[in-house]
Amino acid sequence: MSSSPTSAQTTVDVVMPQMGVSVAEGTVAEWRKRVGDWVEADETILEISTDKIETEVPSPASGRVTEVLVDVGSTVDVGTVLARIDTGAKPGEPHADEHAPQAGPAVAEPAAAEAGPLPEKAHPPEPAEHGGNGHGPPISPVVRRIAEEHQIDLSQIEGSGRRGRVTKRDVLAFLERRDDAAAERPLHIESPYRDEEPAPVQEPAPEREAAPAVGGEPLSLMRQKIGEHMRRSLDTAAHCTTIVEADMSRIEAARKSGREKLTYLPFVARAVIAALREYPMLNATLEGDRLTVHEEVNLGVAVSLGEDGLIVPVVHNAHELSHEGLAARIKDLAERARAKRLEPDEVRGGTFTITNPGAYGALLATPIINQPQVAILDLEAVVKRPVVVDGDSIAIRPMTYLCMSWDHRALDGALSAQFLSAVRRHIEEWSG
Amino acid sequence: MATTTARPAAIEDGGGASVDLTGDDRRALLRYMLLMRATEERALTLYRQGKVPGSFYDGRGQEAVSVGAAFTLGPRDRTCILHRDLGAHLIRGVKPGRVLAQMMGRAGGVTAGKDGNMHFADHELGCVGMVSMLPDMALVTCGLAIAFQMRREPRVAMTWFGEGSTANGQWHEAMNVAGIRKLPVVFILENNQFAYSTPNDHEFAVDPVKRAEVYGFPGVKVDGNDVEAVFFAAAQAVERARSGGGPTLIEAETMRMHGHGAHDDMSYVPKEMVEHWTARDPIDNYERKLREEGFDTDEIRESVKGELDAETEWALAQPMPEPHTALEGVFATEDPVLGDGNAPWSRWQREAANA
Amino acid sequence: MPEITYLQAISDGLREEMRHDESVFCLGEDIGAFGGAFKVTDGFIEEFGADRVWDTPLAENAIIGTAVGAAAEGLRPVCEMQFADFISCGFDQLVNVAAKMHYRQGLAVPMTVRLPSGGGFSGGPFHSQNPEAWFLQSPGLKVVAPSTPEDAKGLLSAAIRDPNPVVYLEHKHLYRRAKGEVAEGRFEIPLGEARVAREGTDLSVITYGAMVQLALDATEDLDGASVEVLDLRSLVPLDTGAILESVRKTSKVVVLHEATRSCGVGAEVSALIAQEAFEDLDGPVVRVTAPDTPVPFSPPLERAVLPQPDDVRRACLELLAY
Repeated sequence: MSSSPTSAQTTVDVVMPQMGVSVAEGTVAEWRKRVGDWVEADETILEISTDKIETEVPSPASGRVTEVLVDVGSTVDVGTVLARIDTGAKPGEPHADEHAPQAGPAVAEPAAAEAGPLPEKAHPPEPAEHGGNGHGPPISPVVRRIAEEHQIDLSQIEGSGRRGRVTKRDVLAFLERRDDAAAERPLHIESPYRDEEPAPVQEPAPEREAAPAVGGEPLSLMRQKIGEHMRRSLDTAAHCTTIVEADMSRIEAARKSGREKLTYLPFVARAVIAALREYPMLNATLEGDRLTVHEEVNLGVAVSLGEDGLIVPVVHNAHELSHEGLAARIKDLAERARAKRLEPDEVRGGTFTITNPGAYGALLATPIINQPQVAILDLEAVVKRPVVVDGDSIAIRPMTYLCMSWDHRALDGALSAQFLSAVRRHIEEWSG
Repeated sequence: MATTTARPAAIEDGGGASVDLTGDDRRALLRYMLLMRATEERALTLYRQGKVPGSFYDGRGQEAVSVGAAFTLGPRDRTCILHRDLGAHLIRGVKPGRVLAQMMGRAGGVTAGKDGNMHFADHELGCVGMVSMLPDMALVTCGLAIAFQMRREPRVAMTWFGEGSTANGQWHEAMNVAGIRKLPVVFILENNQFAYSTPNDHEFAVDPVKRAEVYGFPGVKVDGNDVEAVFFAAAQAVERARSGGGPTLIEAETMRMHGHGAHDDMSYVPKEMVEHWTARDPIDNYERKLREEGFDTDEIRESVKGELDAETEWALAQPMPEPHTALEGVFATEDPVLGDGNAPWSRWQREAANA
Repeated sequence: MPEITYLQAISDGLREEMRHDESVFCLGEDIGAFGGAFKVTDGFIEEFGADRVWDTPLAENAIIGTAVGAAAEGLRPVCEMQFADFISCGFDQLVNVAAKMHYRQGLAVPMTVRLPSGGGFSGGPFHSQNPEAWFLQSPGLKVVAPSTPEDAKGLLSAAIRDPNPVVYLEHKHLYRRAKGEVAEGRFEIPLGEARVAREGTDLSVITYGAMVQLALDATEDLDGASVEVLDLRSLVPLDTGAILESVRKTSKVVVLHEATRSCGVGAEVSALIAQEAFEDLDGPVVRVTAPDTPVPFSPPLERAVLPQPDDVRRACLELLAY
């Protein structure tokens, strides 16, 4: 009843042969041997049929059949093991009618030396030891493009690629985190440089009001400097303020359909720049009696520093930027302004200023000109109001007042009004 | 199977119509040969004047081979015409001006500058343009014939090739296929003694006309400088093909009187050979013969000259093609239309009148 | 819908076209009485007659050359080369006469040349080639390489209806191994359109022919990566839009083909991507192909040359980690 012990090396597989170039499978038609039977090499062990022919399959070896794995009528792929033969058995031994399958590793054919892949087949290179500028792993084209478009400092991102390379995934994840941080904006305008926490200016400071006049705290140096500038400006320029209201519907729509969530400011900035091209006299500086009308538009954008006051970084050559580009630059300048990382040149050379104090609901204002420029535009709240449209109908539209203070030494009311009308026109006819 | 150069007075074809040449037909034969020569001479002049880019090839001395054979074709028959067979183009209806414009690479040329010299054919006249590789067109001609055979149409495909190209494997494939299928083709073998500078004894060991038998169909040798001999041999072959009798190989013996191209001074041709064949010029001899029979051949010459002058003027006025057209036409957007060609042989007018 | 093999789909498609238009006819060696070396035209001569199913002599130039003439006269010949490898014996007629005819002469040549291509069965150097790249260098030829039974049928119909010479590569390995649902009756799949075999976001494998299924299998489970497999289907015209769209999405590309490496279709696709999608790349464009050797006969040698699933997996994993 016992069969001689088999060893791994003496088990031979009987596999489904390939009867023809394009044949992929075959069907077991009839088993000539059962488990336990002795079979001679080349003796027919089973019959198969394929869609090309029917044929007998000769046994690959002499021995005792230890397993029959595929039933009559089953169709299997070429190469499937159909049966196993123990070549270490001896003929004449008792037939094992009850038989436990021996699971031995297959020795179907001489183990082909499956060498590793040939080098020419596939060889993606390692990122260079040094990137293009000689430091660290390279910045791939897509990463560079995304970083530029969104004003990302790649050194802020930890790379998950080879040798610490910043991958596309890394930079997109960084952007997502950054965007989430700058979350949903309310309809009212809000300056792009606003913190999540309400700006300190908002908090009433009863202690300050109650502070005695004598012995109170001196103003910070920055506050003093701002104060001097404001005073000087009022003393120098002949301040007038002209106000024009604008329908922000189209910009509202553009904000909603844009790729990123932008505030009103970059759109208005873009409209202002367009209007300055039509009325270049407003893009000028007056020093003494010397009026200089400037080619390039270096747009100052007032940034609140909270308690510390105010600073006006300048977007140089703003006329070369789209509203998205302006948004990115303003964001970057504001961030660095708050972090006190502005370069000196970034607060000089402005030719026109926009101030956008925040969503506190104020409708109108009379800003003070940023010397030596000849005008400053103040963008206050955007509020939904009923307005008359198309003849005599009434519609609810998001409206805002464009309040521009200007220097009557260099300009006059008509020109200022025309300019503001042009700004309104660009806003109300916004098409991206 | 191999016949002599004897010219039968008339051949009865399967349809019963007699195959003969009227006086007008014979005038036409001369005129087409004169037109071919005049066009090629004018083209050569233009070439020497620097107006023809690339190379220039002509069939001087071989006019009878293309004119005589092409004259037998009916409107619905089809051809693949080779570079020394301008007469066939002219008979099918291509005007000399378009040929000159073609050679000059102008927009008004048959291929509008896409291909040069004799690599052209007007498919609207039922011709398929040759390629430089020879004799590829022999197989294409078999393909045209296969279409006629499959559709059971009494139509014939005719092509020409030089004796040199019979050395090529594709000639064998064409002869073999034509013989196996008994295709309605007529192969005109222009034996002009030289393939570029290579003389016949370097191209074959056995006269090609004898090989036709081995492929299963007749081979006929004719005097390639006798336009009527060529005509009658071709007419017989065409009628055999049209009536289902299968292919014929016609070897027309002739001589290429110019070099392989205008760049070739043919110094490798023995002087005696040139003299011998000059005396057998197909145009001179046929013109003399017709004059002797009372035809006013001067009037034909004048007419040809007048036509050439007008056509040359037209051709020279054609602009060069626009550069952007170089990118156009790589792919077709519509199925092909092989149109019918002119068939000036009087037989076709008679058939049309009787139809 | 019935499930049939790739081979059956080609046969069905050809039969449908021949039933639909009597100007369609077949020519090739052993296609008539024998039904074709791979049985694609089995039963055809019985249904359509010897006129429309021509058992040609052993003469590839004759097959292609006569097809040109027949096509010029308004028939629609479908040539069969017994193995794609033998196209070299008919190369002259294909690239000099057929391909250039419309450009030079304005005469369309509506013919199809079927090429049973590819290796993987010890066919050796002359029965295993993938010669498609040759035809990319021959303007005037269109080239298609279906990977599924449905595509095989639809592209064959489109190829036959196209007024241009179309080279149709049918991969022998797929004949009986590729099975799928295929609609009955005639339908065309337009030339020049790729197909996204599997959508993905992390990496694109761009491939065609027998390598499509290999790519799908190899990238099924790659450490959770989302791998897109783009089946080109058509090599001329190439669906450059689909290629660039995939690259824009994933920014990492493996181009895979069974044909040899140098100047293959992969080289063309890689150059296209490098030029047109440079700023969308987050890693180098990698090719997985056979090396520049003839296809050897003995199984271990053949396996060492033809791209295997592990080759694709390795290339993808390395690129994913870049």
